Amino acid sequence: MKPDIPAVLAELAGLVARNAAPDLDPAERAGALSLSAALLGMAAEAWDGAAQRLVEENRALRALLADAGDYTGPDAALAGAEDSDLTISVLSAANARLRAGLIALQADVEAEDSPEARALESRIWQELRLSTDRRRMSSALA
Amino acid sequence: MSSADLAPRLAAYAARRMPAATGVEVRDLSRISGGASRQTYRFRLTWTEDGAPRERRMILRRDPPVSLIDTERRVEFEAYRAFFGSKVPVPEMIWLEEGTEALDLPFSVAAEITGYEAAPALLWTEAYLAAHETLARNKWSILGEIARADPFALGLDRVMPPPEPEGCWVRELDMWETVLDADEAEPLPIARAAIRWLRANPPPPAQRIGVVHGDFRTGNFLYDRQGDIHGVLDWEMAHLGDPLEDLGWSLNPVWNFKRDLAGGLVPDGVAIGYWEAASGLRADPAAVHWWTLFNCVKGQAIWISSARAWIDGGNREPIMVLPAWGMQNPQDRAILKVMGHL
Repeated sequence: MKPDIPAVLAELAGLVARNAAPDLDPAERAGALSLSAALLGMAAEAWDGAAQRLVEENRALRALLADAGDYTGPDAALAGAEDSDLTISVLSAANARLRAGLIALQADVEAEDSPEARALESRIWQELRLSTDRRRMSSALA
Repeated sequence: MSSADLAPRLAAYAARRMPAATGVEVRDLSRISGGASRQTYRFRLTWTEDGAPRERRMILRRDPPVSLIDTERRVEFEAYRAFFGSKVPVPEMIWLEEGTEALDLPFSVAAEITGYEAAPALLWTEAYLAAHETLARNKWSILGEIARADPFALGLDRVMPPPEPEGCWVRELDMWETVLDADEAEPLPIARAAIRWLRANPPPPAQRIGVVHGDFRTGNFLYDRQGDIHGVLDWEMAHLGDPLEDLGWSLNPVWNFKRDLAGGLVPDGVAIGYWEAASGLRADPAAVHWWTLFNCVKGQAIWISSARAWIDGGNREPIMVLPAWGMQNPQDRAILKVMGHL
């Protein structure tokens, strides 16, 4: 999730502290605190599964890029790596590199007219659908 | 600036704009929560004129330093003014101030429309359920009236550049792709795939150049328990273009509020029928599909630009994080749905 959860939580800590002041407009305080509560709820929901989601997705993306063979081109090196550092920021950075590789791969595959390309394209859409399943939150707005 | 600091400066500005008034005061100034692209306040303006006390309820909308949607205030102001008194209900615009001397930032003042609701969540409470059909008919009929309006007769082409009918789609797609390029904080494979498809499968030219509200959806109009609509708000993304663009935004699945109905109210086909009857235009299914998918991309650009504004420190209000966290994945799923991959 962007912005990153730790940065938002730090900002909300300051916001809540400022809203403890007694002379604030009650309507402004209510607005700030209700929004803060909604964000805290989202952060809480995302927290426990964040590392699991990223590890699972990175693994799936690496497998897809590895299976893409010739299509992968300069992104082939992405396929061979693995997640050894499980901090969220490092996993997220790897995820961003892999998803950038997936964009390049999908654009290449769309330009090819072969059964292999269509099969790979179908796998990419399947992975994209799964990526949204992994990111689903009950507190999402829509 | 706090409300306590703002009120006397706003009163001084109002006094300058009302030379026949004396004793001008701003009372009960309070900020309205929400409003990611403007700082919005309600207040009562009181004054004496011709020996009689007067009062009017007003809305102040002030530009924040960095907003969710970068727009020109004059465009929004002129759009409201063009439709005031028409079949498209809008609040009366009172003052536009583009300078920064009065309140440090540009702002506009409008009459407040009171007594109605805007919050989408209320629509699914018991008191409003019976009004869904009426509300839907009113909603898409008003959108059709916007599409029917002649922007040149309204003088809106003076502040909104008109595209050629065959160039509407590419101008909008270029603009929002540029926003994605500039603001994305992480790669967006689903939005990028949608953009490639949109460019490879362009829609037909616009049937006519019309006014596009740009953000016409449940939540941006004032309604009552009978399903009547009393004010269409949030014109900050108004521009001239293909009227189908607005229809596509209203059909963006993220505005279904987790129900498989347009706006959470009626099936898409029913909404489109109301729009066609009011606009006098045909909603070609392939064109509606293109504009709906385009609007999913536009939505994603808006959500990620709110994240960018927060990340860069230009606007650290929590309202900027809410759409970034709460809308980005639903918008990706909406793209998948519209493209037939969900």
